[in-house]
Amino acid sequence: MSERELAEAFVELADTLVDDFDLMDFLHQVTVRCAQVLGVAAAGVLLTDQRGALRVAAASTEQTRLLELLQLQTDEGPCPECFHSGRPVEVADLSTAADRWPRFVAQARESGFASVHALPMRLRTDLIGALNLFGGQPGALDERTIQLGQALADVATIGLLQARAIRHHETLAEQLQTALNSRIIIEQAKGVIAERRRVDMDEAFELLRDSARRRNQRLSELARAVVDGSDALWLTQPAPAAPERAPIPLRRSDGSVG
Amino acid sequence: MINERVMRVWAQIGKHSQGAPATLAHVCAATVAGVNVDGAGVTIMTSSTARDVVHTSDRVAADLEEWQLTYGQGPCVDAFARGGPVMALDLRSLESLTRWPVFTPAALDSGARAVFALPLQIGAIRLGVLDLYRARPGAMSSYELADALAFAEATALMVIDDAAGLQPDTAELAWQRDDPTAHQVQVHQATGMIVAQLGTSAEAAFARLRAYAYAHDRRLGDVARDVVERRLRFEPDLARESHDSDEETA
Repeated sequence: MSERELAEAFVELADTLVDDFDLMDFLHQVTVRCAQVLGVAAAGVLLTDQRGALRVAAASTEQTRLLELLQLQTDEGPCPECFHSGRPVEVADLSTAADRWPRFVAQARESGFASVHALPMRLRTDLIGALNLFGGQPGALDERTIQLGQALADVATIGLLQARAIRHHETLAEQLQTALNSRIIIEQAKGVIAERRRVDMDEAFELLRDSARRRNQRLSELARAVVDGSDALWLTQPAPAAPERAPIPLRRSDGSVG
Repeated sequence: MINERVMRVWAQIGKHSQGAPATLAHVCAATVAGVNVDGAGVTIMTSSTARDVVHTSDRVAADLEEWQLTYGQGPCVDAFARGGPVMALDLRSLESLTRWPVFTPAALDSGARAVFALPLQIGAIRLGVLDLYRARPGAMSSYELADALAFAEATALMVIDDAAGLQPDTAELAWQRDDPTAHQVQVHQATGMIVAQLGTSAEAAFARLRAYAYAHDRRLGDVARDVVERRLRFEPDLARESHDSDEETA
């Protein structure tokens, strides 16, 4: 990763924060950038449901396997440990952690991951979630990469704060609960699209996100409209060409992708 | 652990219903006792304009629902519209007055000082709001908030099952339906797929999924996985499901 790419990532994220932005789209962007900038295979954000469990909020790819791996951490895994201690958790080689988290390690390795890191998302004294980084090869991330990862975790936290500052000084509880519910709406919308289009859940998410970007619409609002049936896009229009995975769309405000 | 909290919440509801089928009145009473608030009210909304106050625990709670219904403003109205909780920590604050200029003085007059409006929702399924109030200002403790959110979730499930004609059970049985696998992403994805399969609302789709799981004595997450992996389809006309033993589903 070059300095230039790194700078671009932060500029883009900071740029989003000054706009009226969609939190779900923003958290997704943060995880995508984490994977690129930190050189890890996948990244995910888990947020506290304030009832004692962590819930999936965003992932760098929407592959069901990754979502499942993230959600497995409702019970066990590095994220809950990181969340409860407030400290980073590093597992340079997953094969050494099978006793600690048997189900998590088995599924992570089956998904092709060899190492995992979890970084806390902290707001003053409150812990609000954790950022999960999965590596394809065994090995610990070096100190600078961890620092960068923590900076990105902090950016994700700022995103949450910013979204609530925009509206009526919301409490943290209001913002977290709204974010987690938005995530559920996105899953429901993925289901509607997957069924109507006969595509898998990953493609359904791409369709939803690209459509939101093209129409300059909030991801969670379009998702709600799809589930409510008030947006009939999925009934009538042909599927837009599936985009390549690679260049990540930078901004939605200019209407372009990539 | 989440299961302990869920169990405790249902146990408290059960204490109030005393073996009879649990109702919203029991939930309100249990919530008031459980999270240290002075009153509770449940409003069910059939749309953003049509509302129905279903139960209130006391006069103040009834007033609060009344003012919001009459003036079309207040924490409950906002919670429903926004899809997230709205916590009015002090109605004497300028912020409250600015945000709800008509509701705020009326609510203070009735004796409320803080209002916590928790939406009854599961993603795009919006059912209504559980409104809690206190005569004193201030936030809930994180422990109280966690329980209040669990009460709101229990209420939402009760409303869904009730609307779907699934006979409300005793709280003891009902909590067993509060399946931890209900939080898996596949449950929400499956709900969306059933929306498309049946051409129905998300609420009805979710209720069908739950009804299927009870009827077959299976975990919700496992049934949802069958739907997502296209081994199980819901059919609109026959009111039955086709479960393919083959890999391929037509």
